[in-house]
Amino acid sequence: MRPGTLLRLALAGTRTDGARVALTALSAALATLAGLAALTVLAVVKPPGDARTESVQYTSALLREPGLRPGVAFALLMLMVPVLGLAGQCARLGAPARDRRLAALRLAGATPGQVTWIAAAESGLASLLGTGGAFVLYLAGRRMLHRPGPDGRLPLPTDVHPAPAVIVAVVVGLPLVAALASALLLRRVTTTPFGVVRRVRTRVPWPWPGLLILAGLAMFAAFQPVGLWYERRHAEPPPWLLPTLLIGGSLAAMVGVVAGTGWISYTLGRVLHRYARRPAVLLAARRLTADPWAGSRTFAALLAALIFGAGTAGFRAGFLAEAEVHARTGTGFGAPAEFYLGAMRLVDLAVAVAVAIAAGGLLVAVVDGITARRRAYAALVATGVPRGTIGRSVLWQSLTPAVPAITLALTVGYLLVRSVYRAPSAGGYSAEVCHAAERLCGDPLTRAQYTRIEWVPKVTVTPDVPWEHLAWFAAGGLAAVLLTVGVGVLFLRASTTLEELRTT
Amino acid sequence: MTYLEARGVVRAYGPTPALRGVTLDVAEGEILAVTGPSGCGKSTLLHCLAGILRPDAGQVTWRGERIDEWSEAARSRLRRTEFGVLFQFGQLVAELTAAENVALPLLLAGTGRRAARAAALAWLERLGVAEVADVLPGEMSGGQQQRCATARALVTEPRVLFADEPTGALDTVTGEQVLTQLVRLAREQRTTVVLVTHEPRVAGYADREVTMRDGLVDHSGLGLDAPVSGGHW
Amino acid sequence: MDRVSTSHVLLGLLAAGPRHGYELKRAHDERLPRARPLAFGQVYATLARLQRDGLVVPAGQEREGGPDRTTYALTEEGRTALDRWLAAVEPPMPYVASTLFAKVVVALLVADPERTRGYLIAQRRAHTARLRELTAVKTAPSAGLNDVIAADFAIAHLDADLRWLHTTLDRVADWHREVHP
Repeated sequence: MRPGTLLRLALAGTRTDGARVALTALSAALATLAGLAALTVLAVVKPPGDARTESVQYTSALLREPGLRPGVAFALLMLMVPVLGLAGQCARLGAPARDRRLAALRLAGATPGQVTWIAAAESGLASLLGTGGAFVLYLAGRRMLHRPGPDGRLPLPTDVHPAPAVIVAVVVGLPLVAALASALLLRRVTTTPFGVVRRVRTRVPWPWPGLLILAGLAMFAAFQPVGLWYERRHAEPPPWLLPTLLIGGSLAAMVGVVAGTGWISYTLGRVLHRYARRPAVLLAARRLTADPWAGSRTFAALLAALIFGAGTAGFRAGFLAEAEVHARTGTGFGAPAEFYLGAMRLVDLAVAVAVAIAAGGLLVAVVDGITARRRAYAALVATGVPRGTIGRSVLWQSLTPAVPAITLALTVGYLLVRSVYRAPSAGGYSAEVCHAAERLCGDPLTRAQYTRIEWVPKVTVTPDVPWEHLAWFAAGGLAAVLLTVGVGVLFLRASTTLEELRTT
Repeated sequence: MTYLEARGVVRAYGPTPALRGVTLDVAEGEILAVTGPSGCGKSTLLHCLAGILRPDAGQVTWRGERIDEWSEAARSRLRRTEFGVLFQFGQLVAELTAAENVALPLLLAGTGRRAARAAALAWLERLGVAEVADVLPGEMSGGQQQRCATARALVTEPRVLFADEPTGALDTVTGEQVLTQLVRLAREQRTTVVLVTHEPRVAGYADREVTMRDGLVDHSGLGLDAPVSGGHW
Repeated sequence: MDRVSTSHVLLGLLAAGPRHGYELKRAHDERLPRARPLAFGQVYATLARLQRDGLVVPAGQEREGGPDRTTYALTEEGRTALDRWLAAVEPPMPYVASTLFAKVVVALLVADPERTRGYLIAQRRAHTARLRELTAVKTAPSAGLNDVIAADFAIAHLDADLRWLHTTLDRVADWHREVHP
């Protein structure tokens, strides 16, 4: 196959395919921007000195302190999770039609390899468009945001850039990964051209994700006891053990929640089906049981963001409890608390951005679900089914799994942090307290006169459940779902015109 | 008063005129075939008569009422209660079983679930596909799907059934079985049928045949709109 | 349609066992319901010819308050002749010949395209009416499989004729130009 033919066949398609290419490019661009930003933060060179030497050229402590920079980079990289979720969702946009077209190519005599090349070329080129554009945007942004303040300090690390090889790796590597992923997703088309034509029942989900969630929680809960166990034996835990508990635990919980949504969808679909009186509910119930994994796929990014958000809410509650303990026992850290809370507000912002990106993915999924069924929907409208009924069925179908899944995600996210960060306590010991002015206490000569041994009472503060925070996240997640359904229903009108009956 | 009629109906898709002033009467209880080559506008005429499409000009009246002037909601209700519509393929909801697909119009009309299911099963039985009642459309043969669609179109006992190439995707024998059942059931219920087809053999099931050509009913004598002997039987 | 060999049909009906003339006629009309009806005279004339050729033999007399009835039975030669007929493949349309086709060709030779078209339209009308009639027979609730199969045979031929009439109607002008350059 000549490259020209490959390009022509890769770009042949409908408006939906155009939208998929555009959205793939967009998500690739967002992922590249997040990645390049993270790499730039990591590229800041620590000035010579001890481990705490700050890079004084920046205004923000987040960039100045070498201990915080990896955290910032990590948060930026975490933003890539919903972006990649969005990319995955975009790849599915119009995929049934594309699969049919590729199957038609197979029937016309294309080899499995050629078909794979065509599909891979489409996503690879679209991603390359996105990463290239993002790279240009990154260069332009560096120039425009390079604004030293009056004291010569920079708000952003615009004075450094990642190594060229790393940039090339991102700009070229991401499209390669995208192409590889789409080639993998095409197994069904390449094995048999007829495979995509018939729809059959999918496997019924089992509640095993519940076990994964429990395992994740157990791993987090084990974090402190394991540490204490080694401490009591005056030994250091192996360096891999504690990070494995945290990373493995959060991965297990996240996969559990996302996969559990499939089971939730299926179970609620069956319950709804049993009690449904109205056609809208019946339609929604059947779609939930027919493809329970749709919920998992569409809500994955949103749920991941919410687990992360609930975790930070739990962390903040624990942090506030700790601050109170320190305040009440007189020990403590006063000034940096404000700084930590500020940093957490940034994390909240990141979660909000992640929810927004996840909502984008959700929108793509809802619109795709409608356009993929436009023939049947158009036929229903032709036989007199009101569009409102179909719209309501889409709403039911989205909200039914969304409400429990969001609740589950927030609960799990909060419980994960809570199981590490139990009730902080201090006191319960005797301590030297200096009762004098700072000048006298500060001087070792005069200090002894004013010190007394005092019993510090033990104070334990159970962190409050951050209801307000969690409620905000729940509201945000639900609002995202409702908004996307609303926009999706607007597409319903265009998708149910009679012309759709003429297309196949 | 004529039963269902189109008067000077014009309808275009963008710049392409599909109907260029069609006038046609459909009598109550008759089975009318609209034939003609591909692209002659016969499907568009059917959609205008069924109130699915609104004509750009001209009028469509049903029992003396200008349904082309009705709102979309009113026409939806009409299609749901008085009309039945049957397409070539792809009209079943993929996620619903055959019985649920057939019961859907009844549920929309407010029938209870149990009663709707009972009626759906009875219709599937009448069309000879009772065995697929709890099967999804993707797991049925083309003939079974089309029989379910026929059952869905007839389950509300409509006054008029609009069928657009109902056997276009079926083999000859299956197509004839579906048509035979459709015609027999329509006659039992005294349902008027407007049948769009390009096949003479399918038009043979009608009492009367109208031929279309280039967006117009062909009155040149090619069309057979005058009933021939033995038209009604 | 070409002429059916009545003698072979009668041989076939006798293969099930001896029958007399009246029974043969009834069986013929039942099995070939839409065929040209068989006259009694034709049945007896054919039986006589078959007997002369040694393909059937009289197998007895029967009298039931009416006239004498001779039952006929198949001979060995008769069965061989029947088998030979059944095994022989009918030549598929050896000549493109039909009154319909010939008439259209002649009409074009002696008349203008309009007249030819008029003839085709009239023929189409008649074909359509007959097609509808046979479809009605076939879909009637009382129709047995004999009727359905017979009607199917005719419907398929009428359908083919109608398609030919359709396409030929569109080609009359071009055809006329070719015939009368």
